[in-house]
Amino acid sequence: MSNLFSGISLSQASQSSTNLSIASKLPPLPASPSLSQTIGMMGSPEEALNAYPLPRPLPVWLNPAYARHIVKGNFMTLSARPKTVDKGEWVAHQVVEHYRNLWNFVRVVFEKEEDGKTICNATSCPRMSAGMNHSYTWLNNRFEPIELPAFEYITLMQRWISGKIDDTKIFPTEASGVSFSYNSQITTTALLTGPDEWVGKRSGFPKDFFSICQTIFLQMFRVYAHLYWAHFTEPFYHLNLEKQLNSCFSHFVLTATALDLLKPQELEPMQPLIDLWAANGTFPPESKAYEYANLKAGTRLLQLGGMA
Amino acid sequence: MSEVEFAPPPTPDLESYGPNVAYNRERCYQLAQGFFKDAVRRARERHERQKELKLRLENPELLSRREQIWSHSGKLEAKYLRFLRTKEELSNYTVVKTIGKGYFGEVKLVRKRQDGRVYALKRLFKSEMISKEQLPRVRAERDALAESDSEWVVKLFTTFQDNASLYMLMEFLPGGDLMSMLIKYQIFSEDITRFYTAEIIMAIEAIHNLGYIHRDIKPDNILLDRGGHIKLADFGLSTGFRRDHEKSYYQTLLQRPAPPSGRPQNNRHSVNIDEISLTVSNRAQINEWRRSRRLVAYSSVGTPDYIAPELFSTNGYSFEIDWWSLGTIIYECLVGWPPFAAETFHDTYRKIINWPHTLLFPDDIQLSYNAVHLIRSMINAPDARLGRNGAAEIKNHPFFAGVDFTGLRRIRAPFEPPLTSDVDTSAFPVDDLPQEEGFGDGGGSGPGREGVAVGAEDPEMSLPFLGYTFKRFEKSYTA
Ligand SMILES: Nc1ncnc2c1ncn2[C@@H]1O[C@H](COP(=O)(O)OP(=O)(O)OP(=O)(O)O)[C@@H](O)[C@H]1O
Ligand SMILES: [Mg+2]
Repeated sequence: MSNLFSGISLSQASQSSTNLSIASKLPPLPASPSLSQTIGMMGSPEEALNAYPLPRPLPVWLNPAYARHIVKGNFMTLSARPKTVDKGEWVAHQVVEHYRNLWNFVRVVFEKEEDGKTICNATSCPRMSAGMNHSYTWLNNRFEPIELPAFEYITLMQRWISGKIDDTKIFPTEASGVSFSYNSQITTTALLTGPDEWVGKRSGFPKDFFSICQTIFLQMFRVYAHLYWAHFTEPFYHLNLEKQLNSCFSHFVLTATALDLLKPQELEPMQPLIDLWAANGTFPPESKAYEYANLKAGTRLLQLGGMA
Repeated sequence: MSEVEFAPPPTPDLESYGPNVAYNRERCYQLAQGFFKDAVRRARERHERQKELKLRLENPELLSRREQIWSHSGKLEAKYLRFLRTKEELSNYTVVKTIGKGYFGEVKLVRKRQDGRVYALKRLFKSEMISKEQLPRVRAERDALAESDSEWVVKLFTTFQDNASLYMLMEFLPGGDLMSMLIKYQIFSEDITRFYTAEIIMAIEAIHNLGYIHRDIKPDNILLDRGGHIKLADFGLSTGFRRDHEKSYYQTLLQRPAPPSGRPQNNRHSVNIDEISLTVSNRAQINEWRRSRRLVAYSSVGTPDYIAPELFSTNGYSFEIDWWSLGTIIYECLVGWPPFAAETFHDTYRKIINWPHTLLFPDDIQLSYNAVHLIRSMINAPDARLGRNGAAEIKNHPFFAGVDFTGLRRIRAPFEPPLTSDVDTSAFPVDDLPQEEGFGDGGGSGPGREGVAVGAEDPEMSLPFLGYTFKRFEKSYTA
């Protein structure tokens, strides 16, 4: 491992605990520069990639040949908020869509076979992990971090998320409650700023709505990371679903970054793939995901894959 | 320094997985594929709306209304997003009346609890439709209806499902169907026939342009809107099934000896004898036929009266089958019954197969030369049938001289339904239909949504009916 990492204790930095019921009360994470930003400033493409704590040989999903998509064109149009739409409404929509997409893949590793076994189980994945350096713990009732098999972690997390999404006090569904976005050129009502204003307020979303959505996105990101690190080949590659997974995940990253639902440092376990997608044009230069990427590392992956 | 390399891609290996994986894989594949297809379509439509909005905001004449235009757009989009987020289910609606019935399901007039709006809700029972080879077509046909934005096609707002049924939420067309009109008036003048026929041509042309063959053009699938103009319905799910159902039904009939009351099949004259049995002098028989036609529409097989002969053969068929059906409808409008009407389906079927000998015009009904010529050109062999080269050649037939096809919807229709309320069902045979409370058996009580319960299969997630759910952006959606 490169000494560029000195000063960052990886096991601590990424051992995040979750108790989702209090997650929204947790203090905000310090705004440290992302790993890729730190690395991107110096060195050659080779050094940039070597800076990541990646196993050798590199995981299959970092091979550009397997990082392809089922969609052509600019993914950003899918998550760009129409100007007149209230931000809260748009965020709510994105949360639900991405949740449905992610669950589509989780279902494949979670559904029981005839012998009662699931692909992701306590033996295959005894911890909720994303590679060697990231594992996530759950907080029990006494707020102690506990390690859970990925299957249990994800199940708990799914219950928590669907509990939020199905709660009409948090995700209102009444057609009559809708509002619209402000435009200083057109709308006369002044845009309030300050403690009394929050994302989605005018459309009936609660004060903690946005932070709930950030937590949901963070949790969904962890599940994607687990799927890539633990299940990319088994089963997705074997089932010829890797392009589908890539497409849903890249759409997820573009949305999450564009809407500030994920912070750059939270992308860490999947940073090399994000770099690759920035380098190969999946993430357009005007996207935040591109901004957060380390192009050198991405270029290096393309070189290794014989594509640059 | 040793070269960094990728882990070698393993050989794809399905064998090592259990039997359920293939199913799960297919479902995952289709859902992901469907998501992007849908998302791209929605983005494209959204983009169009935003472009239109921009034009309106820049229009100096609308300057004073800019704020209203802006907020209206934002709210409309937001309502659509909420609509997308929420689960449609039966309990969101209350039943006003049952207005129609067919083999696979029924059609009810419903009111949406949330906004009080009125719709027609068609319900199809899954159990009746499980027939594996047909499922790709189920999807294709649902797509056709969902993708069409034609004024000639009944508008589909959304589709949803529960364990037992698929539902299609459509605009309610209060004028009833053409079958009711024919039952009521028995015969139309050539002018009125010309109007309806011209509209049906436009409608068939619109769906052909979508690449879709209706296959089931008949009077009870031609609906009338509040202005008395026609729209096509019922080319969603059931047609394909039913057509094949009929095909095998008739093929079995073919192989069987004729029923005892019939004549021996090897008698070459039998067909000729049958054909004369239905003439105007035989009024009693016609009235009986007319009374029974609604019941026939409810029965399992449906009437074969309007089906082109090539649908019964194994040689395949194409777009021109819909023009044959229209030919038989024109005949019926002018004569009072369809050309191959007979006492039994079996006889009708034999008449259709022998159409060159059985297509007869009664002596005591006066038809113009052009009308007869048009009918004979449409009830014709597929390779000689008018319409095989597109709708234009039908429109150019002298029967339609002077008709402005593109302006049809702007002129007043011959019959405008006299409506007293938004739930006026006087154009429907509601008294002939069972009117049970609510949605009746199997409805409403289905499990609601509990997120995506792990383990338990969400009905939306069962492979045969995957991707059935659809939601249309609705411009006139009220607050
Ligand atoms: N949108 C609608 N508005 C008003 N009435 C409708 C509407 N859709 C259907 N109906 C009525 O219900 C009847 C049956 O509907 P439809 O033809 O769609 O289904 P079906 O006949 O059951 O299907 P199939 O013929 O394939 O079995 C129609 O003939 C018409 O009278
Ligand atoms: Mg019908």
